Amino acid sequence: MARDMKRARRLVAAAAAVALVATACGDGGEEPTGDQTTAAGETPTATETGDAVDPANYCEGGSEAELVWAHEQEPPDMHLDDPNNNLSITSWVRQSLWDGLYGVSAATEFIPELLAEEATVNEADDGSVTIDYVLRDGLTWSDGTPLTAEHVKGTFDIIMEGYDVETGEGGVYLIGDRTGYDAITEFTVNSDTEFTLAFDSFYAGYKALFSEVFPTHVVTTAEEANAAFPEFEHEGETLPSSGPMLFDSWERGNSMTLARNDEYHGSTSPDVTNAGAACVTGVKINWVTDTDAQINALKAGEADMIFTQPQTAFGERISTDEAFTIASEAGPVYEHWGFNLFNPHLAQPQVREAIALALDKSQVMSALYTPLFGDALPAEGLGNTYWMSNQPAYEDHQAQYAGNLVDEAKAKLEEAGYTEGAGGIYEHPEHGPLSLRVGTTGGNALRELQQQLIVEQLKPAGIEVTIDNVPGGDYFGAMPFNPDAIACANSGGTEGNCELWDITQFAWVGGPWPGSNHAAYLSGSGNNPYGFANDEFDAMSEECDATVNDDERAACYNEMDKFVTTLEKDPENGLVVIPLTQKPSYYAYSNERLQRGAVAPDANSAGPLVNVVDYLPAGE
Amino acid sequence: MIAVFAYVARRIMTTIPLLLVGTFIVYALTASVADPLAKLATCNQCDQAAFDRLIDLYDLDKPIPLRYVYWMRDAATGDMGQAPTEGSAEVFPLVMDRAINTARLAIPAFLIIATLAVALGVYSAVNQYSKSDYFVTGFSFVGISMPTFVFALLLQVIFAVWWQDWFDAKPFYVSQMHTGSISEVVRSHILPITTLVLVITAAESRFERASMLEVINSDYIRTARAKGLPRRRVVLKHGLRNAMIPLVTIWAIDFAALLGGSVVTETIFSWPGLGPLLLRAIFNGDLNLTMGIIMFISLLVIFFNLIADLVYGMLDPRIRYE
Repeated sequence: MARDMKRARRLVAAAAAVALVATACGDGGEEPTGDQTTAAGETPTATETGDAVDPANYCEGGSEAELVWAHEQEPPDMHLDDPNNNLSITSWVRQSLWDGLYGVSAATEFIPELLAEEATVNEADDGSVTIDYVLRDGLTWSDGTPLTAEHVKGTFDIIMEGYDVETGEGGVYLIGDRTGYDAITEFTVNSDTEFTLAFDSFYAGYKALFSEVFPTHVVTTAEEANAAFPEFEHEGETLPSSGPMLFDSWERGNSMTLARNDEYHGSTSPDVTNAGAACVTGVKINWVTDTDAQINALKAGEADMIFTQPQTAFGERISTDEAFTIASEAGPVYEHWGFNLFNPHLAQPQVREAIALALDKSQVMSALYTPLFGDALPAEGLGNTYWMSNQPAYEDHQAQYAGNLVDEAKAKLEEAGYTEGAGGIYEHPEHGPLSLRVGTTGGNALRELQQQLIVEQLKPAGIEVTIDNVPGGDYFGAMPFNPDAIACANSGGTEGNCELWDITQFAWVGGPWPGSNHAAYLSGSGNNPYGFANDEFDAMSEECDATVNDDERAACYNEMDKFVTTLEKDPENGLVVIPLTQKPSYYAYSNERLQRGAVAPDANSAGPLVNVVDYLPAGE
Repeated sequence: MIAVFAYVARRIMTTIPLLLVGTFIVYALTASVADPLAKLATCNQCDQAAFDRLIDLYDLDKPIPLRYVYWMRDAATGDMGQAPTEGSAEVFPLVMDRAINTARLAIPAFLIIATLAVALGVYSAVNQYSKSDYFVTGFSFVGISMPTFVFALLLQVIFAVWWQDWFDAKPFYVSQMHTGSISEVVRSHILPITTLVLVITAAESRFERASMLEVINSDYIRTARAKGLPRRRVVLKHGLRNAMIPLVTIWAIDFAALLGGSVVTETIFSWPGLGPLLLRAIFNGDLNLTMGIIMFISLLVIFFNLIADLVYGMLDPRIRYE
């Protein structure tokens, strides 16, 4: 055991060093995330320091220049619902083109965007609900057309075109997820700026609906929308914008150019200072695949801004340079270890609890994440899968497993009938040695280091874990989301293949409305690879979602989280996941080329253009 | 001349089965790992109609050999299909467009490489074991042993970051750079071309040195020297011509490879050429695009090897095309 501890310490030391030199490459399935903190070398912006900035004359003193963003991923097209698409970059670009009813703040909370105020929820005695919306006055599209309630209705019609709510079938392929929209029983336009949605019962995710309002005075049908969205043009004309930018041109393989929308009606985000149109004349996104080349571009003045997953080179080459501002923000992407409940060892709650006790999240944080992100993330790691640490409703539900409790872990194993065997590995009389596999997206250095560190932490407790990764995004289809594995999880272990994986490590994406997280744990859900099934949890998901009061609903989600992160609510199947930490992105811009950067690039995977109006080029 | 034409015709005929076998192997391998349905399976909102559409579009219900036959039949008529991961662009014009970008690097790089490799190889051989030979040898070994991406990033850091005020070289492709001023064109092209030149010249100069050493130690060169011909004339007229023959083979391969796209160099300099496109096509499982680029590269290799064979005859009249 002493040797294991020594090895663990060495690994921590190595990991701490390597964290600065490791590259956490993207897997395309993760989104960057939100909570302004800074790394060394940051030059605070005027808005951050509280310097007086006149929102009405925000751009004064800046030059007329475009923002150049060097980014690694070029989307195949601009259609967000194309399975061939890279959703992150496409949604980041579209964030700046089309506003929605609600936006998301840096604190990962919904904020009225096209709305003049929060929507009003009216609950009837029979449980049915109507929600009244009021749009801001003076909203216009970039082509000068007023943006009215008819556009919201038109968007609804396009999404639901041909879709049968009763059977859940039909609809036009590629027009996005209809979840929530299918709960709307009636859409009433009351005036140009007012409309009402009716629901049979309260739908907690109502603020997530209409995150984009389509220009339905140009594209009127789903077929037209499908044809227009990929290249963002309809009948040879660029689609109009309601956001701060206009789609301008796309030179495939090289760059995409957005132009400033001079008709922009202004941002309502609490993170934005500028009250008017963007200061930059546009945004040019240069596709620069190699991260080192991105940094070279930034240092050479060929790019003003870069935004990527945690990279070593950032720590080494940018964070200590006063010429650049770096911001990392906590957000809704979180790493976790999830257990296959149909593994004979992991099916025993004591084994899962032993792993939770022996696993030292604070060591993971101090070795891997704090060197990269400073105090952006809680030092004790994440203890909730429904609410993230930067959200007001966050509670740490795994505080009782505050790390490295080896003796307690061993006691749990012995309680389950295990005895210490050869080499210190515990053995079960029926299931044999406590030897498990953990898998993740191979090639992601930060994840692999995290795995190695935890594997070493578990050894002293007599738990042997071997690493079983699959390269890149192929991991998901090969392991936890393999159809056979899902069949096993959904059937209660009677069908499919229950032996494909034991422990999985990957990131889920949360958000301001955590109700979308239910799918990972609901009985029979295709997104539930763990095999967790609990009728009370399933019922509670509906109950929470139907709770109209925001605070009560938030508390309800916290209770739901206890089902999966503790054994308190479900002593048999609970503690099916161990949330580890939120996983922010890095964002850096040149202080020489920009007087001010934009705040909150990471909230709800919004990307760096979400508050693009606040980028202020340096003066002439 | 008739013999040459007959030889060319025969070579072309023999390359057809080679091309078919090569492309089939690539097609079968790519098709077996690039499954569009697997990607669609992760799409929550995609229904059976979406699956059916893809099955129909890519003949996914047919065995791979039959799909290959369909693909080859269309490709033979110039229809290489669409690239679903590139906004459904037509493959053939897309490949040609990127090939032109690649050629903007490949042609100047090749001309410099050919000149430098011969000059350094000959100089090194003629001055064998001199200080300058050791210097050139050292340079070559550094060039051969250093990974391309290291050279590329070093050049970026040195000339585009540290010494930017002096050189103002562009660290990556500048949009429409070929339509700018000469200065802009040079600043955009200089770093990727230099990377290619450094890496490839290092290897080729070693070939040329070895070949030249063999030639200048041969009997007919000694005879020429003994007859009193000037050293310069012996080396350049009688030696170089024969020493070029092995290098021509290397040139054919290298030039075809350059025109086929340099994945590492083009990626680091964000050059919109064939290299990054092929990489993307493979990673995204875009079968049509992968096959289109592979076909293009295969044709280049075959074409330039044929050219090399013909050049042998010009360099050495003893070579007969039978």
